[in-house]
Amino acid sequence: MSEFKLTTVEEFEAATNRLLETGAKVGADSWQMRVKNQTPHCKFGESGVCCRICSMGPCRITPKAPRGICGCDVHGIVGRNYLRFTAGGAATHSDHGREIAHTLHEASPDGNYKVKDPEKLLRLAAEFGVETEGRDIYDIAREVSEVGLMEYGKPFGYQVFTKRAPQHTQEIWDREEIRPRAIDREVSCAMHMTHMGCSSKPEALIRQSLRNGLSDGWGGSMMGTEFSDVLFGTPKEVETEANLGVMVEENVNIVVHGHDPSLSEMICEYADSKEMIDYAKSMGAQGITVSGVCCTSNEVAMRRGIPMAGNFLQQENVVLTGACEAIVVDVQCIFPALGPLSKCFHTKFITTSPIAQMPDSEFIRFNAKTAGENAKMIVKTAIENFKNRNKDLVYIPQMKQKAVVGFSVEQIEKKLDTVTNSHVDVTGTMMPLVDCVKSGVLRGAVAMVGCNNPKIRPDAAHIELMKKLIANDIILVVSGCSAQAAAKAGLMDKRAKDLCGAGLKRVCELVDIPPVLHMGSCVDISRMMVLAARIAKDSGWNISQIPLVGCAPEWMSEKAVSIGNYVVATGIDTYLGVEPYAYGSSEVDGLLKGGVRDWVEAAYTVEHDIDKLGDMMIERIEEKRTALGI
Amino acid sequence: MLLFDIVFNGNDTMYAEAVEAVNAAVAEYGEDMAVGFPETAYSLACFYAETGKKIETLRDAKEALTYIKSQMTRERRLDSGFKSGVATALSAELIEAMKYVGGKQPYEAPYLGHMTDAQIRELGVPLVTGDIPGIAVIINAAPTVEEACALVKSYQAQGNFVCLVGGIIEQLKEAGYKTGFNVRVFPIGENISSVAHAVSAACRTAMIFGNITPGDKAALQEYTFNRFRAFVNAFAPLDEKTVACGAGAIYYGFPVVTNDMDYTPSVPKSLIKQPKVEEFNATSLEARDIKIKITNVDIPVAFASAFEGEIIRRKDMRVEFDGSRVDCAELVQTCEPSEVEDHKITVIGPEVDDMPDGSKNSIVYLVKVAGKNMQSDFESVIERKFHNYINCIEGVYHTGQRDMQRIRISHDAFNAGFRIKHIGEVLYTQVKNEFDAVVDKCEVVIYTDPAECTRMRHEVAIPIFNKRDERLDNLTDESVDVYYSCILCQAFSPSHVCVVTPERLGLCGAVSWLDAKATNELDPAGPCQVITKERVIDENLGAYEDVDEAVQKYSQGALEHVTLYSIMQDPMTSCGCFECICGIEPFSNGVVIANREYAGMTPLGMTFSEMASMTGGGVQTPGFMGHGKHFIGSKKFMKAEGGIERIVWMPKELKDFVADRLNKTAKEMYGIENFTDMIGDETVAEDPETLVAFLTEKGHPALGLDPMM
Repeated sequence: MSEFKLTTVEEFEAATNRLLETGAKVGADSWQMRVKNQTPHCKFGESGVCCRICSMGPCRITPKAPRGICGCDVHGIVGRNYLRFTAGGAATHSDHGREIAHTLHEASPDGNYKVKDPEKLLRLAAEFGVETEGRDIYDIAREVSEVGLMEYGKPFGYQVFTKRAPQHTQEIWDREEIRPRAIDREVSCAMHMTHMGCSSKPEALIRQSLRNGLSDGWGGSMMGTEFSDVLFGTPKEVETEANLGVMVEENVNIVVHGHDPSLSEMICEYADSKEMIDYAKSMGAQGITVSGVCCTSNEVAMRRGIPMAGNFLQQENVVLTGACEAIVVDVQCIFPALGPLSKCFHTKFITTSPIAQMPDSEFIRFNAKTAGENAKMIVKTAIENFKNRNKDLVYIPQMKQKAVVGFSVEQIEKKLDTVTNSHVDVTGTMMPLVDCVKSGVLRGAVAMVGCNNPKIRPDAAHIELMKKLIANDIILVVSGCSAQAAAKAGLMDKRAKDLCGAGLKRVCELVDIPPVLHMGSCVDISRMMVLAARIAKDSGWNISQIPLVGCAPEWMSEKAVSIGNYVVATGIDTYLGVEPYAYGSSEVDGLLKGGVRDWVEAAYTVEHDIDKLGDMMIERIEEKRTALGI
Repeated sequence: MLLFDIVFNGNDTMYAEAVEAVNAAVAEYGEDMAVGFPETAYSLACFYAETGKKIETLRDAKEALTYIKSQMTRERRLDSGFKSGVATALSAELIEAMKYVGGKQPYEAPYLGHMTDAQIRELGVPLVTGDIPGIAVIINAAPTVEEACALVKSYQAQGNFVCLVGGIIEQLKEAGYKTGFNVRVFPIGENISSVAHAVSAACRTAMIFGNITPGDKAALQEYTFNRFRAFVNAFAPLDEKTVACGAGAIYYGFPVVTNDMDYTPSVPKSLIKQPKVEEFNATSLEARDIKIKITNVDIPVAFASAFEGEIIRRKDMRVEFDGSRVDCAELVQTCEPSEVEDHKITVIGPEVDDMPDGSKNSIVYLVKVAGKNMQSDFESVIERKFHNYINCIEGVYHTGQRDMQRIRISHDAFNAGFRIKHIGEVLYTQVKNEFDAVVDKCEVVIYTDPAECTRMRHEVAIPIFNKRDERLDNLTDESVDVYYSCILCQAFSPSHVCVVTPERLGLCGAVSWLDAKATNELDPAGPCQVITKERVIDENLGAYEDVDEAVQKYSQGALEHVTLYSIMQDPMTSCGCFECICGIEPFSNGVVIANREYAGMTPLGMTFSEMASMTGGGVQTPGFMGHGKHFIGSKKFMKAEGGIERIVWMPKELKDFVADRLNKTAKEMYGIENFTDMIGDETVAEDPETLVAFLTEKGHPALGLDPMM
């Protein structure tokens, strides 16, 4: 076996630079160039002090003009903007969850979508109060999906998944009046509160931000995760590979990009069929390679071991290889730039969702009822495009790492069971993990999530922080583009244990895991919430007492702010490398970075110096240990 | 208190005691005084394995203290916990070493203290074959004497090797429980520092069998973690020093099971709290992933490899059977399936009850086997295992083979209900267990009637033995088409490969060509694989392309070339559990051979242990080679350098053992009569000058040969 070595960010960048040369040849635009054009960014926007909610403005706050035309001060404006940002993210995640619920509703024994994890469906049915005795599994699936869909608009009551939280957390949510009601209601309520002439009190706006975030994390996102597991199977440990080197020059390369697994699952299914492979061969290719970008990639990697071509800021690179026959997208985080870029190559840019329609794309509308035919048509389109490839432009950086992924809560539990001793322990708990933390073998855990952002050297913050944390015996659970950064670097290779401190290394050896655990896509941060709740219940600690913090060092999207809000509101301190647009108000900023701690026992920390951010997380984890007396 | 703080405190205390012990020794003897444990080539093995430095004098010991102190980091990370654990073990080793300074013998029976290299090498084969599934280190007194005995017995009955430290030793003594290396219960010492002798055994195993370079800490840890199946049982109340030693144990991969429920937190698979002493055994085996091969033999006494070394003295003996005085035999015979009734056991003649107390009797056991894949060549392979099977019976002792075996049944075994028929039961069960691929049906007939025994011995057994001997005589390296690889040892010695040929058995002495052939037949994907011998490079050296390819493959590329008949050019490697080692003696152009049991000095100025430490672990050291005792009489023994006429020295015991075959071969090859008379031994010489004088006087042929280098 060849020597194990991490791939460095410098190596990533060298590969990107080589691809940008191809781009220059064909006159392609790139995010690197657009960043230059957009810099410096508008300070009013960045600090959150610009209000364009009504047409009397836009108003922006300066020392000379401390109030908008309606009289709203900077705190109200920043607070409203923050809440709207949150609502955008919560709506996006939750609508993704809703789509999956609709797909579940379509599931049938001989249809495109089947129930792959009936056990999970039955557990959900029990949670939702759906009768299961003597019923057909697909009847149950339909009713469960209907109850799930009702969570979006039910007139009364709270999100049913909030019952999964420990008692203490639920009491906080009730006390602070932030237990989320219907998902759509929380979004509407946010939009309503921020309308001209409604709330301008920072406390009220931030409180709703937390509640709206919770409606995502313990509502829409959690539903997206759970229903996806029912439909496509709960992730289990699986080996895959990451980085552009997973694309195969001799094959038809189809890249799936976006977030919703309904589309990508079908494409993987068809691309793997003999019929399509034979067709590809008849077109001069040796086979078909499906790889992924962004969270749709995480979804199919976790369930099928489909390789990950890259994360958010690598989406253009995929096309720049000149070897991508089709980049097929569903929703979220898709650069409109892919349209014009694809025109510089033979690549087909195929949009599929009415939610994400873009110029210069081929729109093949994807529908749960006709999913099979749609997917087949997309795969065929890609295959038929193989012959149009300009061989002179083809360059795939031969750079990839092995990764072991698929660590759902269920898989983590199974892994932990392997280190129990049947003569003294029970299985099916998080106790082995808790014992490792209590004894000091592990110092704690960091949940690292989020995107890339050109404001931070791409992937560098994720990778450097992870290296620092694992060397300090802190285990990582990761998702989204953070997970892909780890995989590309090699941190999800089990051999990465050798980069850990003695404690985490021993844990990796005994449990047979890599030190950085891939828990899924961005909606799967809901899995981390369930994990925290399980740890709290088994340890007897409150979630806020667990030596655990959240971190999004390179975040960029509205979804990330929604996530941050529900992570903090669940009691987990959250560390950011990029400012939310809130520093323009000392009151809002003060609430987010301190004041909310009085409500939910956790708050935000923002630090641009990434190394320092790491030190601060370690320090916080050690503080929590000291407080627990461990 | 936090776990790490307990470890740090315990480490501090042990270290302070080490400083005190070293200082006291320096005050008494001065810094130049020699330091070391008896009969080892590895100095203070823990320190040597960790640092690559040998502690030879008290001055070295003082310097070692400085190193140990540098390892005692105090960060709140497991790394510090581990380092402090190792520092505790190293401190303990120094404390123990100080007890031996000045040639003192600090331990008296039942306490044994230091384990010799020879003992560790003896454990090599049973460890790799899984005969010793694990090594238990039990610390402190059990809650009761009964529980102490029951726990030790439970491990022993599974074949585990048990080391004892502290109060449990007195508990066993009080109960009259038999202990000793031979029964795999090894009481080390009274104080916790004596646990260093157990750590030393682990470190030496890594250096001897694993070829771990002394000082390569990471490789050492990886070896002990993955390959040395030890674990610790520590009884309440634990103190800081014990927990600190525990941290060292856990670092090396040995989980600790304790019934002290409140003193420390639990750590999965590493520090496990088990309040029930009766479940210590099962809990520990699961924690160390040790699977016990269950052999349920339906007899009234225990059956386990731990009893293999048990000796029954005359006064403890109810009856004996002795082939050297009366007619005895043990025989496997291949029959047609219709002639064998599976699991039928017949005793023809008197049972033990009918034999006078202390009497000498005849016995012949005939094991009839049938099976589609059975070959007559396997008969002797199966037969050779009888010694081991019968010896594993608690209270029964067996030596010898064929028609010269001797068996004793103890009073204890007899009183427990053990009878002759149970020997049949043991033979049946084990043959069916281990040879299931070739034996479909098995029946045992045991004769104790003296007349029947005489008939069976002379009319049945001896003619068969003679026929087999003829076959074996014709079985030469030239007469067979294939050789076999044996990598049975790779669990312990990852890069070693034996090439087994008819005239050169495995260096452990346990695997002959026929054994390897049978092993290959029994488990075609197993440790013994066919090696063809079609592409000769040099017949005299025994060099073949096929052999080279095989060793490359099975050593995962660690070895490129191996010759079968040379000790100078690409000699065959050793795992470390060789019976003998030969090394060149330049003054006489000859070689010196020492066997594992020989503890004295050789004319090379090295003991067996020191010679052995130069090879082993799968490395090639031209001029030194490990081998089996039986290889000494072979015509292929260092044939490339001229053969057995190079042998100039052997310990007397070994010389007597190989004399018949060696003399026969010397006669055939060179026409020399009584060749062994020309070979020196420890009664003649322990230095080269005296040896050469002796050889000159005897006219030893080696003196006239070309120098080997």
